[in-house]
Amino acid sequence: MSLLLRENAKIIGQGITGSEGQRALPWMRAYGTNIVAGVTPGKGGEILDGVPIFNTVKDAVQAVGQVDGSVMFVPPLFSKGAVTEAMESGIKFVLIGAEKVPTKDAAIIYSLSRQFGASVLGPSSVGFISPHNKIKIGAIGGADPSRVFVDGNVAVISKSGGMTSEISLHLKNNDLGVSYAAGIGGERIICTDFADFLLALEDDPMTTASVIFGELGGTAEERVAELVSERRIKKKVVAFIAGDFAAVLPNDVQFGHAGAIIEGRKGTAKEKRRVLREAGVLVAEHFDDIAGLIKKS
Amino acid sequence: MILYEFEGKKILEEAGINVPKSRLIKSLKADFAVASNIVLKAQTLTGKRKDAGGIIIVSNADEAKSAVYKMFDSSINGEKIESILAEEKIEYSGSEYYISISYDTESREPVLMFSDEGGTGIEDRKSSVFPIDPKNPLEHVPALAGLPDELVKKIIRLFFDGDCLLLEINPLVLSEQGYVALDAKIKLDDAASGRHKEWNFPTRSISGRPPTEREIAAKKIDEGDYRGTAGSAYFDLSGDIAVLASGGGGSLTALDALFAAGGRPANYTEYSGNPPKEKIEKLAKIVMSKPGLCGLWIVGAIANFTDIYATLSGLMEGLRSAEKELVKKFDFPIVIRRGGPRDKEAFEMLRGIKELDLHLYGEETSIAESANIISKLAGEYAKKHELVA
Repeated sequence: MSLLLRENAKIIGQGITGSEGQRALPWMRAYGTNIVAGVTPGKGGEILDGVPIFNTVKDAVQAVGQVDGSVMFVPPLFSKGAVTEAMESGIKFVLIGAEKVPTKDAAIIYSLSRQFGASVLGPSSVGFISPHNKIKIGAIGGADPSRVFVDGNVAVISKSGGMTSEISLHLKNNDLGVSYAAGIGGERIICTDFADFLLALEDDPMTTASVIFGELGGTAEERVAELVSERRIKKKVVAFIAGDFAAVLPNDVQFGHAGAIIEGRKGTAKEKRRVLREAGVLVAEHFDDIAGLIKKS
Repeated sequence: MILYEFEGKKILEEAGINVPKSRLIKSLKADFAVASNIVLKAQTLTGKRKDAGGIIIVSNADEAKSAVYKMFDSSINGEKIESILAEEKIEYSGSEYYISISYDTESREPVLMFSDEGGTGIEDRKSSVFPIDPKNPLEHVPALAGLPDELVKKIIRLFFDGDCLLLEINPLVLSEQGYVALDAKIKLDDAASGRHKEWNFPTRSISGRPPTEREIAAKKIDEGDYRGTAGSAYFDLSGDIAVLASGGGGSLTALDALFAAGGRPANYTEYSGNPPKEKIEKLAKIVMSKPGLCGLWIVGAIANFTDIYATLSGLMEGLRSAEKELVKKFDFPIVIRRGGPRDKEAFEMLRGIKELDLHLYGEETSIAESANIISKLAGEYAKKHELVA
């Protein structure tokens, strides 16, 4: 499984010499993430924080051998090119941190991920973390991840970066911990959606239940409901859905995330909650109820 | 960004797709000489304008003039009419085709929808759906009830090269001049604006009213600066609690909690992705410029990489310069609920500020709890100052 990265998985960082990359690199390494190379065109031969930099992904892979994943610190309009390069070099896990990747590019990236059999988190993924596997990809948790993310059996999957942490902190404050926590991004096209992630967790021995943070707009929450009612997702899922207040505004209003938009009558937070509840997902009406629902047998 | 019909038709024309000859009327001083039948179309961003009297056919100057006067004086679904498209009336007898391309969030791919029974009420009829490969959009062009391949290709090419989120022509008809697009609904992908220097459309609100000064000013903060985001999403609301929320998901969660607590937000906005201090300062000034505020709520989920010290410093500077510019003292309660990188330094800095009524909460207080606190404090402030509506 290319999505649930194991301990010591070999990771490269594309665009890691940029400011966000340079900031995240020491934090990822300090957590235990095995960053084996960086890629920035024109900076090949340099060494950053002990990590060798190459001009292309191909050069990097040639030098350090096959790698398990790539984390992108590439500006939004260059993300598509960078992901294509990674996939063509055989990399099966890509995390895109950039926000504001054009929808056309995201659709192409999703299509490529299917073609190459790769897992792509994002665009606008805050990162991926697994305390047990000592791996942290992207900005998630900042410099001090253990403040929020402690080892446990609950997976946290969220459209929002901040809420990935907020939920993990809420779990920690209630004596629970995370197996994995990841931001899937709040974009119109989500390359790995809730359901893709939950399906991967079905066979994961570390995870007993999951929390998903959804928002108004799109159909990712509805897909979870479908797979839960088909019993293809059997492990416990607790859902919290934000965006009720949007009902006071007219349709087509765009909130912070590109995917958080109501077009027509579908996709309201209330409707998503109804569909999820009917399918057997435990829906938290209030944020502070999430941990209680996880513990409920 | 949603385009007006006249803007959309210009893009269609540039892509080689026929549209009726037209003129845009922006004031009553227009020349009303009418040669033949003319269709007057009120330019609105919301649909369903036909039933609301937004489309009128006229055949002489007097009729045109009185229809234009009437239209400028009315509003359609709450939207004031700023311009009217005057078009030659296209004669046709065959089918009205519906053709649209958009992204299907379920299959996560672009889809073309087509019907040869287009026109009004299309949403209640069934369309055929054709997935398009975004990598090679022109490889398999679907056969659409005899529409020329070249025309379909032009539409597909425009959708992708033009970074549209929605391209809808309804109806497309066959006249003596060939196929003509009688309407155009185009939505552009704001995220792609960096590669479309030709997009210079004025800011618009899609809330059925012209954008407010604050909404226009807030949108400008992010222009040309990719470092984080602040104010790209900003809407004025009718309440009395100013909100500076961070994060897309955190801001939605916060406003839901505020409504649930009985508080009334004066605005929706969010900043995220570690924006520089100057951006935050500008946003704070805009939010605080609203009259009649009874409280300010600075709220966010625990941050991953947003520098809390820098952003809260920026907010405080924004408050100070807003006080100066407005010649006003902010004496209402300010509740801050924030956590993340450098939050200890941030709270130390905040504790040193005595001239504002600050109430500080960290990660131990949930977003919902802090929503209750600001609602209660703002309510008390309103009562004390007899500001209760």
